[in-house]
Amino acid sequence: MKKVTLYLIPLGLFLGLIIFLYQGLFSNPREHKSSLLEKPMPEFVLPDLMDIQRTYNQDVFLGKVTLLNVWGVWCITCAIELPYLTQLQDEGKHIVGLYYDQDIDPDFGVKTVERVQLEVTAKLNQLGNPYAFNIFDVKRDLSLDLGVTGAPETYLIDQQGKIRLHHIGDINPRVWNKKFAPIYDTLVAQ
Amino acid sequence: MNRLVCTLVILMLGCFASLVLATEDKFHFGEPKKDALFLELTKELRCPKCQNQNIADSDAMIAVDLKRKVYELLQKGNDRQQVIDFMKQRYGDFVYYQPPVNPMTIWLWLLPILFVFVAVAGIVMTRKRQPAEINNEQLAKAQAILERDE
Repeated sequence: MKKVTLYLIPLGLFLGLIIFLYQGLFSNPREHKSSLLEKPMPEFVLPDLMDIQRTYNQDVFLGKVTLLNVWGVWCITCAIELPYLTQLQDEGKHIVGLYYDQDIDPDFGVKTVERVQLEVTAKLNQLGNPYAFNIFDVKRDLSLDLGVTGAPETYLIDQQGKIRLHHIGDINPRVWNKKFAPIYDTLVAQ
Repeated sequence: MNRLVCTLVILMLGCFASLVLATEDKFHFGEPKKDALFLELTKELRCPKCQNQNIADSDAMIAVDLKRKVYELLQKGNDRQQVIDFMKQRYGDFVYYQPPVNPMTIWLWLLPILFVFVAVAGIVMTRKRQPAEINNEQLAKAQAILERDE
């Protein structure tokens, strides 16, 4: 009897290891909790993409539930999610774009703003324009403060200007229903 | 032997050259101490987009942006820990290769130690038991042989 229990110990350990490693197969290494959750939007002063004279700051998000979508015309996945975002906007969601350009390197600066505006207008005419307005993150400082790793990424911001959700990757019906809708609906209901 | 020395020297020169090249990027401070700190930090900070690369190795835009930020922060007089904290605030513990000790990660240190203890205990226990058992058995066998012979 004693011997049997002795043999069961390594078997138990082995099974434990198997379970631990097995669930590792299904974990997504790219998913890690954003450290900005439940924190207010970082401070910024940035121009409107289409009207450079006009500037916004973090207070622009107060009083509304906002989807802040980080994107660029050079980003292929962003082009794929644009039609769905437009659909969301048609349903009455307030979507703001955080635009940044790859070609505007703060160290070299090659592209003019007019050029960027042309490209953006063409893209939005082609695929739909979900944005109430676009904030132009000229030197990608706000993106860095937000912990953006690339595009597309989307933040759900509540009426108090706090970040409630940070999604890396595109938004599609599945992601919306599973991840965004529960939080969005409770926020809007408030 | 000579060849070996030669190879070693060449290898060492290679390492040195790559170090020099690395600092010859667009980020230099004119202060060897800060240059070294910059190199160290960019090696210890992890690129958030490209999982298994540090920002020194990566050419992803985010890595370039982070490098520029590290440079900026160092130039403003921030020290090593301040730069790390700045990055962690934005990108989480993930961004720094050295994991923090917390209830979740403590097992990274505890498990190997536990394993060593258990293994040593196991070895000690089996060592103690075995000779006694074998001796009894052998004695019994010897006794049986003796009895048979009689």
